[in-house]
Amino acid sequence: MNAATAQPDTWRPSRGKVGMACLIFMESLFFSGFIIAYLFYIGKSAVGPWPRDVLELKPVLVNSVALLSSSFTVVAAVRALERGRMEAMKFWLLATIGLGAWFLWGTWSEWRGLIEDKGLTIATNLFGTTFYSLVGFHAFHVFAGLLALGTILLLGVLGRLKPRRDTIRFELISWYWHFVDVVWIFVFTTVYIVGMRP
Amino acid sequence: MSTLHAPSHTAAGTSLLERLHGWAITVDHKRLGIMYVVAALLFFVVGGLEAAAMRLQLIKPMNDFLTPQGFNQMFTMHGTTMVFLVGMPMLAGFGNFLVPLMIGARDMAFPRLNAFGFWLFLLGGLLLYFSWIGGDGLYGAGGAPDVGWFAYSPLTSKTFSRGNSTDYWILGIMVSGFGSLSAAINFVTTILCMRCPGMTLMRMPLMVWMMLVVGFLVLVALPVLTAAQVMLLLDRSLGAHFFDPQQAGSALLWQHLFWFFGHPEVYILILPGFGFVSEIVPVFSRKVIFGYTLMVAATVGIGFISLGVWAHHMFVVGLPPWLNALFAASTFLISVPTGIKIFNWIATMWGGRIRFDTPMLYCTGFLGMFVIGGLTGIMLAAVPFTTQLSDSYFVVGHFHYVLFGGLVFAILGAVTYWFPKATGRMMDEGLGRWSFWLILLGFNLVFLPMHFSGMLGMPRRIYTYQPDRGWEMWNLVTTAGVPVQMLGVAVFVWNMIRSSLKGPVAGDDPWDAWTLEWATSSPPPEHNFDRIPTCTSARPLWDRKHPDDPDCHYE
Amino acid sequence: MSDPRDEPASVPYLRGVPEPTSGPLWAGFGVTLMFAALVTHALVAMVGFVCAVAGFVAWARACFPEERLESLPTGADQPLPPPALQPKGRESRVMLPAAMHPYRAGLRGGLAGGVSMAVVAVGWGLLKHGSVWLPINLLSGVFVPSVGQASLETLSTFQPGLFALACGIHLVACLFVGLLYTVTLPMMPRRPLIMGGVLGPVLWTGLLYASIGIVNPALERFISWPWFFGSQVAFGLTCGRTVSRARRIDTMTGLPLDERMGVERGGVR
Repeated sequence: MNAATAQPDTWRPSRGKVGMACLIFMESLFFSGFIIAYLFYIGKSAVGPWPRDVLELKPVLVNSVALLSSSFTVVAAVRALERGRMEAMKFWLLATIGLGAWFLWGTWSEWRGLIEDKGLTIATNLFGTTFYSLVGFHAFHVFAGLLALGTILLLGVLGRLKPRRDTIRFELISWYWHFVDVVWIFVFTTVYIVGMRP
Repeated sequence: MSTLHAPSHTAAGTSLLERLHGWAITVDHKRLGIMYVVAALLFFVVGGLEAAAMRLQLIKPMNDFLTPQGFNQMFTMHGTTMVFLVGMPMLAGFGNFLVPLMIGARDMAFPRLNAFGFWLFLLGGLLLYFSWIGGDGLYGAGGAPDVGWFAYSPLTSKTFSRGNSTDYWILGIMVSGFGSLSAAINFVTTILCMRCPGMTLMRMPLMVWMMLVVGFLVLVALPVLTAAQVMLLLDRSLGAHFFDPQQAGSALLWQHLFWFFGHPEVYILILPGFGFVSEIVPVFSRKVIFGYTLMVAATVGIGFISLGVWAHHMFVVGLPPWLNALFAASTFLISVPTGIKIFNWIATMWGGRIRFDTPMLYCTGFLGMFVIGGLTGIMLAAVPFTTQLSDSYFVVGHFHYVLFGGLVFAILGAVTYWFPKATGRMMDEGLGRWSFWLILLGFNLVFLPMHFSGMLGMPRRIYTYQPDRGWEMWNLVTTAGVPVQMLGVAVFVWNMIRSSLKGPVAGDDPWDAWTLEWATSSPPPEHNFDRIPTCTSARPLWDRKHPDDPDCHYE
Repeated sequence: MSDPRDEPASVPYLRGVPEPTSGPLWAGFGVTLMFAALVTHALVAMVGFVCAVAGFVAWARACFPEERLESLPTGADQPLPPPALQPKGRESRVMLPAAMHPYRAGLRGGLAGGVSMAVVAVGWGLLKHGSVWLPINLLSGVFVPSVGQASLETLSTFQPGLFALACGIHLVACLFVGLLYTVTLPMMPRRPLIMGGVLGPVLWTGLLYASIGIVNPALERFISWPWFFGSQVAFGLTCGRTVSRARRIDTMTGLPLDERMGVERGGVR
């Protein structure tokens, strides 16, 4: 024990947690810019196609379930690392990455259908502009999260992770992943519920 | 979570190349802070020269020193440079250098992110300036951006802004904005997590409090600007329609998004200036800051209210009257905490044994000039007044009193005050006085007449004017002030260069100050403090100097 | 060398400072080039990508598996304990203002000043225009715009409504300025009577001189500035004298609330 720990007020929040909280805070402001633009422009497109004509809810719902359930698998992976069960950690992490990749693939196929069959591009009308930018930036963040999770999986496979040292780091990445999920809830509500109203 | 290695650069060679390499790979918050300040000073000189070119063009009616397009480029680059490449990095630099020292830490929370942020700022700024060469694009039109620093749409659309100049504006500001965001994350985390034992939140120096609020404001405001810039970039490069009125896009949305960033930005710029003054005034008045708690409350209050005043930049675009009234009211409201600060500084000075060294001169200059800028600000908060004077030189005069008379004076005072800590040498007092009086005189010569030319109806951003408007005399006086001001700045810069080489050795604590940065050597060692100090009150160094009468009994 | 895991989370970098790394520079350079590629050439993006990846890898290697730190001089890993502070003893500090005049004195001074000001003003009306009512009616013009159009004859006669209004304005203004004097006079350097009795009136007479056309156009038509200034000085001197002769009381600034309220430590000193 040194003088610092003997003092009554030496508790400080963890640097990693505060830093990640700041990053998430900042990213949510970034997304709110696009969400505001989307809400502002609902129903204002000068020409079609309109959201109700081209958007299909069913595949998106399946994708959403995949992405949201990955929040649970990533928690399981963090718990497993905390307890030192590396095999379980790798399994749950792989499951998380698989679900995230499924979501990205779903977005890709939705977009391909919109662009090739329905003729909706970012330059078509205001709906296309706001839709592709909002959903696209979310997908980009999912991709960035997948890169981070993939790095952790790689390190786990190489056996470079130590539970006591790295649990907090993994937990912070999982915070980011939860954030990406929560943003999707907002994006989904904006695009597929509020934006679909007649 | 660490591995220890022998220090590398203490044994570093002394050749110029090796020293430069040492600066390039450094993650030390003090070196990064100094690099921020030096880079910002260089951009300050460039931005000042751009302003001088504009003033030379306006010295007489129907002048042809600059082409109309060249004039547009000048005011765009001047504004953008001064806000994004001078103001923000200058404050990031001072925050970087001072915050860890003031809270008794060895470095920032994320030292490598800190270095990353600095390089993004610098390279983003260079990318913006590369537009002079590369902005022509395919159309052979462009050069530097010429759309004004707030880049109103649809002026920025592909139709009206050919070439790549506007893209350079977007990208340069966006990249340096990422740097500012990194710095903001670092400030918030450092201040919350890195305080030395005993340094509670209410014992932090006010400068640190201001940087905490600034960090928060940057995290709120800047991502919205980035989002708006991304939208504009999508409009310009992929044919999206965010701000394209022909496809029912809204030019007004840009204004809302930009000013939602733009007004907090003003407080992001001025709050650290308040912080400098709050540190310097007590030391040179030999008194404790008056109303510490109230100062903190006012700072936090400004932080929150500043998020709700942005549409006062848009009083003349035709918003509904109730909205205008609402934003006028919030704008009046924000002058309350600001006024509290002014009175607290005056109350700190009152009855003190004031020493008018150069830093204190700048702070008193700041007080006077900022009050003028603040009062014209309250005038402009009244909607009918703005309806008359919006986009006139009155507005230009107003915000230069705030940002030059306020912020730049505070920065110059801060440079003089902390120069001995950063370099170990004092700045020359005589040259300091010369620069202060020259800048004060030149500043008022330049910006006071702008209020009158604005009242007489002279719009801002016009490249020339007719001779029969009654504006000649005011414009002549304004331009006549420019060389005085430039001379003042030149004396200041010369003082910095000369003093860093030949100035008298400062010692650890030349001003007999009370905050922790003066508790270590000048310049501080790489690890800041040989032993991390323990804080006992809001003036920890006072308690160390006067253990018989410590501050902690009065908290 | 101690186990790095011993480092208390509350004092980061207690055992070492971060080692320099070129990672952030390369990463920043690469990111900037990737953005610059949007307005230049795809090749720039490729170069930028390579630089950025190299930079981020170097950055990661500085943090993982463990943060690379430089060692510090011996003994640097112990915080410096606080100095031995003495318990609170003598009252060595002055809280300013240490003492001020009671508000009662300000109210009294305001009334006395108001009387002497009225005497001078009515004297002006009597000597110059032969009417004691003129200055009274003019004063009420602050609130009653019609006074501005009234003729000299009307203004020279007794008007009950205007008289009541003028008395009210005069009373409120005098009491208010009197209270201001209580607060400000103890802060004036050296001779409070000159500052409060002469300098104050000079300042606000100047202010009125500039703004009277807006505030009270009626007064502007008839006003005699020397007399006006004289009445203000009469107010300032009387009020300032009354206030500054009052006994000062301790403000007790800096004492805790219970002590100020007199419920602790033997009450008011």
